[in-house]
Amino acid sequence: MAEKLEHLDVFIVEGKIDIPNSYSAGAVGSKFLIELRDNKRILGLRCPTCDRVYVPPSSTCKDCFGELSEWVEVSDKGTLLSYTVEHRSNVVQPVSPPIVYGVIQLDGADTGLVHMLGEVDPKHVEIGMRLQAAFKDERTASLLDIKYFKPLA
Amino acid sequence: MTQETSQKPEYIFVNYSVPRIHRWSTGRYMGKVYKEARDNKRLVTNRCPKCGELMWHPEPMCGRCKVDAGDDWVEMSDTGTVLQYTYLVVPMWDPHRGERWANPHPLATILLDNGCYIYHFLEERDSEKLASVKRVKAVWKEDGERGNGINDILYFRAIEE
Repeated sequence: MAEKLEHLDVFIVEGKIDIPNSYSAGAVGSKFLIELRDNKRILGLRCPTCDRVYVPPSSTCKDCFGELSEWVEVSDKGTLLSYTVEHRSNVVQPVSPPIVYGVIQLDGADTGLVHMLGEVDPKHVEIGMRLQAAFKDERTASLLDIKYFKPLA
Repeated sequence: MTQETSQKPEYIFVNYSVPRIHRWSTGRYMGKVYKEARDNKRLVTNRCPKCGELMWHPEPMCGRCKVDAGDDWVEMSDTGTVLQYTYLVVPMWDPHRGERWANPHPLATILLDNGCYIYHFLEERDSEKLASVKRVKAVWKEDGERGNGINDILYFRAIEE
């Protein structure tokens, strides 16, 4: 675009606005992330009334609005419920494209966890495929301590 | 978990930044300033064809005579006299990049020798010596670092005359 406008005697400035953000993960989110970091364990919260396990954990049940406090560990293996493939590059994305984003229902959980898929060709991703979490070696109490979910051999 | 119950629980803060990349056009008149600063290390402005007043920054129209200011471009002086200054403690934001400028320099109103006022930084950071800074000259950024208009001038350095 800059080349096309050159004859018009204008100047194109490459601008950037950087806005640093910080928010608290809260009591429930902190415990979830700390367990990821320290023990490579994925925790969920169980609603005893509805018999449903939330992963990622939620402090209230979406159906009975009950306060949840029963922590359960779920498997690091799960099933792909849905996915999408991102081809465009964007500064907010954690890795370079193509990225396969998936909704993964871990064994023992009743909800889907949104994360990335790795070690798989985007063309060969199928709903219902079995996946396993791959953890990073250096973890910082972030959801990205799980590097991605890879196909279960 | 039993040993943790007596301790203060750890809370996680999620830190993230979302830089917005964007391109914007300076328009025709400021474009001349940006180009001359980047390519030739000089400030330029235009002059009203009717009253002869120098604009700064360059404008498409003279505010006094209400006529088209046109393309009578003149080079600005790169030396001037400090009229007033503010001693900065907190770094200012770079308006082009959304990042803090490191190492705050005092911000000054400088009367250039061609009669235009500009607001820019002074090299002298010692608050004791600042009052003695009168005559100054622009110090430009290196080749390859310019392209941000008046911020292509790093700061104004005190000169002896």
